[in-house]
Parts: sequence; structure tokens; C-alpha cells
Amino acid sequence: MEETEVFERVVKILTPWVKNDEALTSVGMETSILDDLKVNSARLVDVVIAFEDDFDIEIADEDVDQVNTVGDAVNLISGKL
Amino acid sequence: MGSGPSGSQPRSDRIGAGASGTPEARVDSGLAARHARQHVRQRRVSWLAAPLWIGVSALVMRFRFGYRIAQARSIRARYRAIRRQSDAPMLVCANHLTLIDSFLVAWALGSAFYWLRHFDELPWNTPESTNFARTPLSRMLIYVAKCIPITRGGAREGVGDVLERVKYLLGRGETALLFPEAGRSRSGRVEENAAAWGVGRIVGAVPRCRVLCVYLRGRRQETWGDYPARGDVMDVSINCIEPKSDARGVRRSRDLALQIVRELMRMEAEYFRARQ
Repeated sequence: MEETEVFERVVKILTPWVKNDEALTSVGMETSILDDLKVNSARLVDVVIAFEDDFDIEIADEDVDQVNTVGDAVNLISGKL
Repeated sequence: MGSGPSGSQPRSDRIGAGASGTPEARVDSGLAARHARQHVRQRRVSWLAAPLWIGVSALVMRFRFGYRIAQARSIRARYRAIRRQSDAPMLVCANHLTLIDSFLVAWALGSAFYWLRHFDELPWNTPESTNFARTPLSRMLIYVAKCIPITRGGAREGVGDVLERVKYLLGRGETALLFPEAGRSRSGRVEENAAAWGVGRIVGAVPRCRVLCVYLRGRRQETWGDYPARGDVMDVSINCIEPKSDARGVRRSRDLALQIVRELMRMEAEYFRARQ
């Protein structure tokens, strides 16, 4: 799967949890999921489970510690496909 | 059992004491030596200062603010009975309404004298950095008072670091207190959708981990706030559970965290039923 496709699907999955809709208009690989998109940190687990379901992968707890930006999520998922 | 000031050797000073292959050793295995050093150092400082900070905390809560724990004797007896049932690691999880809940929970479970004699049972806490670690003085105080500050919503690696340390200390037979809702409940009630999966992550990673659920609420505590009302009486209930899940990865952690939060919700419902 192309990275751009993973990126688009990641952004689509994130969208329902995003509190800063404005940041979505300029979202990129460097966009911080918590600081820029204002996703509630307690809800990050739901986002990650949605990644698992959508991409049919399994993500370990420790992997989540590496995910700060949209790009981190894209790279994590791409590495598991 | 005593490992505090009256004990001969602090348990957590014996880093690396667990035999290879034991649950403790497995918990230790992924931990950087830095964690171990940090922990031993902080525990030692906290242990040496324990007679002062534990005693002062209890006196301030009782006489400065006039707080009381309803049926403290029976709660503490129940806690000791739960402790005697097993030597498995224990994580304490409580509902969260005020900034001093961790002190109140500890006070409810044991007297100052009890904690001095059983120092490693006295839970470590993970207070929010922005509330408690703003100045050098406050950072020093929480360092002494068995606290590992965490930045909620901060860099994932930082949060993961704290969780690793909690796993480590549980594996060494010490105790930690976490609030599974992460922050103080803005609705004043335990909320299922606020369940922080980090709690489940710890429970899932520590073999045989038991969870002591503590529901604590001041009789005049209508909703969340900074401090309970002066002179308030705290009602406390405790129940020990062993969350289990067949799921894997992050899903497992969420499942375990939800079991804890639902137990707290059950205890809360019981509390309000009893008050009617």
C-alpha cells in the first residue's frame, strides 16, 4: 500500500476524534495528534484500535509510545502492512 | 513484612534480586538501568524522610482540615485482610474528585504508623505535573512523597516512561495508586468513557496483578474540586479484583482498564443507593 493511501486513511480515522477542525485543513506528516489536532489523550487508545481494525494489523502498547505525529502513525502502520 | 524505617532492608534496594524467569524478573527485563537507579534513589530519600512527611500529612488532614474517614478501623482491617490473602502485586485504583485524593486514599487504608511499618505498601502516586510540579519546591516535595509526576496528554514516550516505572515497582513488590479516569471526573461521577488505557497496560504487563478498587467520596462532595470541604467525612469502600482479558495488544489494555472503571462505577452506584 502506498504511503499516501495510508496517510489518507489515517487522517480519515482520526477525524471523528479531532477537536481542532482547523488543523485538519493543513494536516501533514508533522502534525501532532495531541497538540495540533487536540485529540484527547485518553481516547488515543480508541484511535489505535480503529487503526487495527481498518488496516487489519495488531499494535502493541509500546508501539503507541512512538506515535506523536500523523507521520509516526503512518510509519507505524506501514511497517506492519 | 515490615520494610519501612523499622525494617532491616528496603525491598527495592535489592535491585536484581529476582531470580531469572520469575514474574519479577520478567517485569524487570525490559527496564532500563536508569529507571532502576532513579527508583532506588527516590525510594531511599522518601523512606528516610517518611516519619516527617507521612506524619505531617496525616496531622494536616486530620487537624488542619478536619477530615475524617468514616469507619476507618473496619476499612483498614479489610485492607489488611486483602493484603494477607496474597503476595501478588497490587495496584490501587480509585475514583478521582479532588487534588488530594491520593493522600486521602492512603489515609483511609492505613494509619501513619501502619505506613511507617509497611513503607513499601504505601502507594506511589503519579500526580499531574502541571498541578504539582510547577516550582522547584513542589517538585522536591512530591519527590519525597513517593510521587512520579506525569504529564497528561504529553509526549507519548514520557507517559510510557512513567508507566514502565510503575510496572517496575509493582514487580518489586511495591504498590502504586493510579486514577483510571486519568483526571478528576468533571461530571462528579465515575465515567466509563474516561477510562485511561495506561492502567490496563500496567495490569496486563504485571503477572498476577491484583487491583484494589477504592471508592472515596466526601459527604459534602457534590462534584469535582480542588479540595474536600473542611471538616468533611469521607465514605470509603474497597474491593479487590483480578481483571482478565483474552484480547491482545492495545485492545487488551483497554479491556482491562474498562473492567476496573466498571467496578468503580458499581461501587459508586452502591454508594448512592446506600445514601438514599
